[in-house]
Amino acid sequence: MNAAQKLMSVRRDFRERDVRVVLVALIIAVATVATIALFASQLQRTLVSSASSFLAADRQLEAENGRPVPPEWLEEARSRGLETGQMIEFSTMISGPEGFELASVKAVSDEYPLVGEVEIQQQASDGAREMVASGPAPGEVWINPRLLRLLNLEIGDSLEVGNLPLKVTRLLIREPDGGFRLSSLAPRVMMHVDDVAATGAVQEGSRVEYIYLFAGAEDALDGYYQWLEPKLGPSHEWEGVREGETLSRSFDRAERFLLLGGSLAVLLAAVAVAVASRQYALAQRDTVALLKTLGLQGRGIGRLYLRRLALWGIAGIVGGLLVALPLFRVLVALLSEALERPVEVYLDPSALLPALLTAVVSLFAFAYPPIRRLRRVPAMRVLRAQPGETGRAALPDLFIALLAIFGLVWLYAGELVLVGALLGGLALLLGVLGLFGLVLMAVLRRVNGGGNAWRLAFVGLYRHRQASLAQLAVFAMTIMLAATLILVRTSLLSDWQTQLPEDAPNHFLINIAPDAVEQVDAFWADRGAPLENLYPMVRGRMTELNGQPVKEAVSKDERINALNRELNLTWMEQLPEDNEIVRGRWFDASDTEGVSVEADLAERLGLELGDRLTFTIGSAEITEPVVSIRTVQWDSMKPNFYVVFPPEGGLVNMPATWITSFYLPEQKKFALNDFSREFPTVSVLEIDHIIGRIQDIVQQVTQAIETILALILAAALVVMAAVVSATLRDRQREGALIRTLGGRQSLLVRSTMLEFALLGLIAGVLGVLAAEAAVYVLQARMFDGSFRWHWQVILTLPLVSALLLALFGRWQLRTVLTVSPMLLLRRLE
Amino acid sequence: MNQMTDFTRNEARPMLRVSGLSHRVRLETDTLTILQGVSLEINRGESVAIVGRSGSGKTTLLGLLAGLDTPSEGVVELDGAEISKLGEDERAKLRASRVGFVFQSFQLLPALSAQENVMLPLELAGIEAPEARARELLERVGLGERLNHTPRQLSGGEQQRVAIARAFASDPVILFADEPTGNLDNRTGQAVSDLLMQLNREKGTTLVMVTHDERLAARCGRQLNIEAGILTEPETAREQADQ
Repeated sequence: MNAAQKLMSVRRDFRERDVRVVLVALIIAVATVATIALFASQLQRTLVSSASSFLAADRQLEAENGRPVPPEWLEEARSRGLETGQMIEFSTMISGPEGFELASVKAVSDEYPLVGEVEIQQQASDGAREMVASGPAPGEVWINPRLLRLLNLEIGDSLEVGNLPLKVTRLLIREPDGGFRLSSLAPRVMMHVDDVAATGAVQEGSRVEYIYLFAGAEDALDGYYQWLEPKLGPSHEWEGVREGETLSRSFDRAERFLLLGGSLAVLLAAVAVAVASRQYALAQRDTVALLKTLGLQGRGIGRLYLRRLALWGIAGIVGGLLVALPLFRVLVALLSEALERPVEVYLDPSALLPALLTAVVSLFAFAYPPIRRLRRVPAMRVLRAQPGETGRAALPDLFIALLAIFGLVWLYAGELVLVGALLGGLALLLGVLGLFGLVLMAVLRRVNGGGNAWRLAFVGLYRHRQASLAQLAVFAMTIMLAATLILVRTSLLSDWQTQLPEDAPNHFLINIAPDAVEQVDAFWADRGAPLENLYPMVRGRMTELNGQPVKEAVSKDERINALNRELNLTWMEQLPEDNEIVRGRWFDASDTEGVSVEADLAERLGLELGDRLTFTIGSAEITEPVVSIRTVQWDSMKPNFYVVFPPEGGLVNMPATWITSFYLPEQKKFALNDFSREFPTVSVLEIDHIIGRIQDIVQQVTQAIETILALILAAALVVMAAVVSATLRDRQREGALIRTLGGRQSLLVRSTMLEFALLGLIAGVLGVLAAEAAVYVLQARMFDGSFRWHWQVILTLPLVSALLLALFGRWQLRTVLTVSPMLLLRRLE
Repeated sequence: MNQMTDFTRNEARPMLRVSGLSHRVRLETDTLTILQGVSLEINRGESVAIVGRSGSGKTTLLGLLAGLDTPSEGVVELDGAEISKLGEDERAKLRASRVGFVFQSFQLLPALSAQENVMLPLELAGIEAPEARARELLERVGLGERLNHTPRQLSGGEQQRVAIARAFASDPVILFADEPTGNLDNRTGQAVSDLLMQLNREKGTTLVMVTHDERLAARCGRQLNIEAGILTEPETAREQADQ
């Protein structure tokens, strides 16, 4: 290798502190952005497939009219390359040797489930569970463990479904599509679809649902639906995965958080790259002057440094990906653990694009400008120090860089609010900093020098005022970005926590007769599992809006599930705690008319206050004006209703049953058997395993978020180290001089640590306040949370930053204290 | 002593010709004149010392003569090329092929070994087999055993010898030296200046040296004084030069 090559060689280059900082910053940025993008894409894919398994398919077609769909519908689906399957659901009495029980039967075809797996137990005794990808064979039946106890059966015994004896071969623990369907309330029995006819339980006119399962490529599914849609009748319902997905909102926010984290990582990395490359460029001026003196031309210098930048970029990208890929695998493993099933690793190559862009933009918007200016270093510098560049030269660069970085964040997060909040927060911060800096310097000017560490610290701040202010700005910015992330994370996690607390309701009781309400309430109160609010429930359809059939009144593009099925209507006196009136007013005790409608439904129907809605309940029709629109926490695991009436309103005299939810701990589950015996008509919906699963997933996603947070805090530390080390040489020289002139080591240490602690404290206070401002906007606009001051963080973070910077200051001094002043001065020549 | 002496000589083409050279620097409030009406000619193979106190303008003059900077006024002609009219890149090209430098602060690149520091100008000028040539030169300056040492591992005198080897590496026609012994003690300074003068004689290079050290200046064939930006030539020196 020749000398010029060696001078520019990567290995040699990477031994320079500033280059290492640039590289570490790039690696962290690329790693964070790549990990987040990969994981977000994986998460989305996994959740979609996980949601698909809630349907046991990608799509379901339900026929609620008790009649199968024409066979050619299924043939068409198969001809389009889709997988199909069939289920028949009905309720019937099951008889065993010791009695009868009402059961909810699901008969499945051989293909079931198209997506997901069925969890079963081979033996009642040992409890070992396994996952299988099929339903029972003809002649067999799988039953819910509770039914086994109710009928006092053993595995291997026979029971009768209608007229047909079937052998119990497995216990059915969990079906993938066992979600929240209200029709499947009685204990579940699963059998083969070919046996249904022989049971005699399904007759013309009996209440039965035919459900068809479809799976395949998205575009094939969409194409099929386009073909199918005109043929669908009012009792046909086409269900996709996005409907009724309780997890989606939580994950939507998790995804936004991850995007926010990624954006902050990009910003932090850009700051680190900018600071370090400026230092690098400053340090390179002598070399450039010498190379020019020795005859290297401007273009040659430009080429040399461009090559360097390219090499840094490649090293940053390769290094970043080397960190990101294993990290991504770890996160996927966590996810797979949370979902209790193997997750297919999905390495989305397009998810790597933002990471590559980050590296390239950081380098060219932040590192290139100071390095490009190296070409202008006068050769005369070899003979005499030249005036340094003025800040004015850097202004256009700064402008371009800011534009580039916010463009990048926008592209990356796709959220204008996010970009606005961060930009606004930063602008506010810099404005306050400018003012504050002026005041600070005016105050510091009055401090006289002296032998006292405090005085030396103040004087030090004043003497390095330009560097101090620049450092203050970068520290405050870094702290702001890190604090924003910490604050958002904290409120996100606490939101989840309150949304799904340990004792979230995990059982629903449905179909409680009015005269049994008190007894049911007492039954559970006696067993230490008190019921939450009890609500009456009346089934009805929304048929007209202002006198027009409601399906005609809304735009054809909107498919509103609520209109395609019977709604659960209720009345209540008190607005549930987690509901919120957004327009209109809640009912008075005296109200006898009016309804309160859920906000999303109201929006999709284009409802205004005063619009008149007609409901068909059995043979009756009632029409009521809309008096309020309210939001509902759908994922609260409590009974929620689209439409609510006042207690003395339109539902008076309508046939109602009652519904409630409550928390039943695992060890009290046996009480369900007594309950079913005592109240055979009340249906119990056990959702404890679903809740458990959601809690698991939330916990794992939390871990993922913590991992990302750690990465970003590491980026923040790198930025700080870069900035502190920017003045390293000056400070070392000064320290060596102070020691040469007889200053004591302890004085030097104390005054430097104090100086940095002061910087850290001021930057911490300003940064945290700016972060609160950004969080205020973000909470309101992106995370639908309510804002509150975070006193704990406001009080602790400035202290932490003061301590951290004091330690950084001490670390800077280490050479000054261990090496003799003479040696040091000579080395710094 | 005459001010504004015309140093023109009769030889065909002088190595360096300067006429009416002035240099001013604009400060915030007024303009500072650093050099004023300098004219001079230096012939091939001549060794010339420019002597002056700190702040007299000698370093600025050296920079302008070597084409590291361009004057506010006047003409500088180096080996027939009017460098005061050339662009920065053209001047760099000229320096690569014809000019060598020795600096007070050595100006070695700390990351490169002694040999690599000497190779650098050879590579920039596109000269073949730079390793062998660099080794030869370092052996010539007595550092044959220290080829792989970096500047930090060398003493001041040794560093300056590396710098001298580097200065002669690309066979320059003219060598500019800025206080070459300014950072060295007397004995080392003496040794270094011996080496410099000796190599200069051997190679027949034109030498222009800026110094405040009268003893070092006395070893040059000709001395010029500079004071407050004005160049003068002592009569005796001029007579010697004329002979």
